[in-house]
Amino acid sequence: MHAVRNVRLCTKDCLCLYVCPTGATDTEDGQIDAEKCISGCRACVDACPSHAISLVPDEYPPQQEKTDAVKKALFALSKSKAEQEKVAAGIADSSDDPIVRQLARAISKSNRVMAEDLLREAGYMLPQSQNVKSFLQSLLDTPQPNDFPIEVVKKLMEKI
Amino acid sequence: MKKYICSICGYVYDEAAGIPEEGISPGTKWEELSDDWVCPMCGAPKTVFEEEESDVNAAPEKEVGADRNTEEVRKLSFAEMGALCSNLSKGCEKQYRAEEADLFNRLSEYFGNKSGITEHKGFEDLSELIQQDLNSGYSTANDSALNNGDRGALRALVWGEKVTKILKTVLMRYEKNQNALLEDTNVHVCEICGFVYIGNEAPEVCPVCKVPNMKILRVQRR
Ligand code: SF4
Ligand code: SF4
Ligand SMILES: [Zn+2]
Ligand SMILES: [Zn+2]
Repeated sequence: MHAVRNVRLCTKDCLCLYVCPTGATDTEDGQIDAEKCISGCRACVDACPSHAISLVPDEYPPQQEKTDAVKKALFALSKSKAEQEKVAAGIADSSDDPIVRQLARAISKSNRVMAEDLLREAGYMLPQSQNVKSFLQSLLDTPQPNDFPIEVVKKLMEKI
Repeated sequence: MKKYICSICGYVYDEAAGIPEEGISPGTKWEELSDDWVCPMCGAPKTVFEEEESDVNAAPEKEVGADRNTEEVRKLSFAEMGALCSNLSKGCEKQYRAEEADLFNRLSEYFGNKSGITEHKGFEDLSELIQQDLNSGYSTANDSALNNGDRGALRALVWGEKVTKILKTVLMRYEKNQNALLEDTNVHVCEICGFVYIGNEAPEVCPVCKVPNMKILRVQRR
């Protein structure tokens, strides 16, 4: 476990700077230095008057299993939402009318959010989950076009 | 004095309070509101409102969809992979993993570009897809989430079905009023559930997912 700071909640009251035994909370980019943070210490978490600091685990528990029937039904909907996102984006792209473009972009965005949420519940909630790893692996295992950013996938496999 | 609830977004019209900002003075009876009055939150017509004491289970009957269940869990389309990767990017962001979030975003953009543009289609085609989701997609998914006790999936389905109904209303209003619907006002989208709001200022909390309005963002006109 190490401490992280939500910079948007932080009111710069600076109590965390006084209580940290290693100086991990005092950094030029506003984020807590994970290397210096002592696992499980939480002195700054308790001291912060703005509840801006949390402890995040270095490893997460396995993701909840999803049944095939639920996955199937969610995938059918996520496919439809992704299609609608695309149709709406197409309407926005092919119109010169700023109002049509605005409305179409709003609908496109709305569908993206719904598709993301459905996929999250279909077994892709946790980036470190086995499902995500298999998804990334499948991208490496299948032939991809030349412009495919393969180094991005490899880096993710390494880091996650 | 009675109260009436919008069955789509949950907005409550209180006769005693009226809506003074809209020129509806306190004490205005439901019957006195004009027939083309719409829900100020989601734009749904008067007909979908229910009296507050009335049976909350009186939801409109759903058609049960054709046998979509037999469809195999298939490979994801490019458009879906775009959404999958942007979702994972948000997940990394919440874990304060900026670098991974950025990598997933790059993948998402790649798949988004790959999915290409569908040849010119209009809002009517969207309405059709929306109707399909409402006729069969959600009832199938709701049943299976209920049968499997999957409350997480149910949560996404409850939010999504509401937002989908609201999108349907938005498109119906647009068909009727055309650009006049949006000329003097703004459009907002909730980052969390996808709720679309037409009005000057976003409501304080999202009526669908209840997130505070710092997460409900204005869509620019350009
Ligand atoms: S104690 Fe909390 S509010 Fe104060 S500087 Fe630290 S993180 Fe920010
Ligand atoms: S948890 Fe302890 S060591 Fe880590 S940043 Fe906070 S005060 Fe410093
Ligand atoms: Zn409403
Ligand atoms: Zn919302």
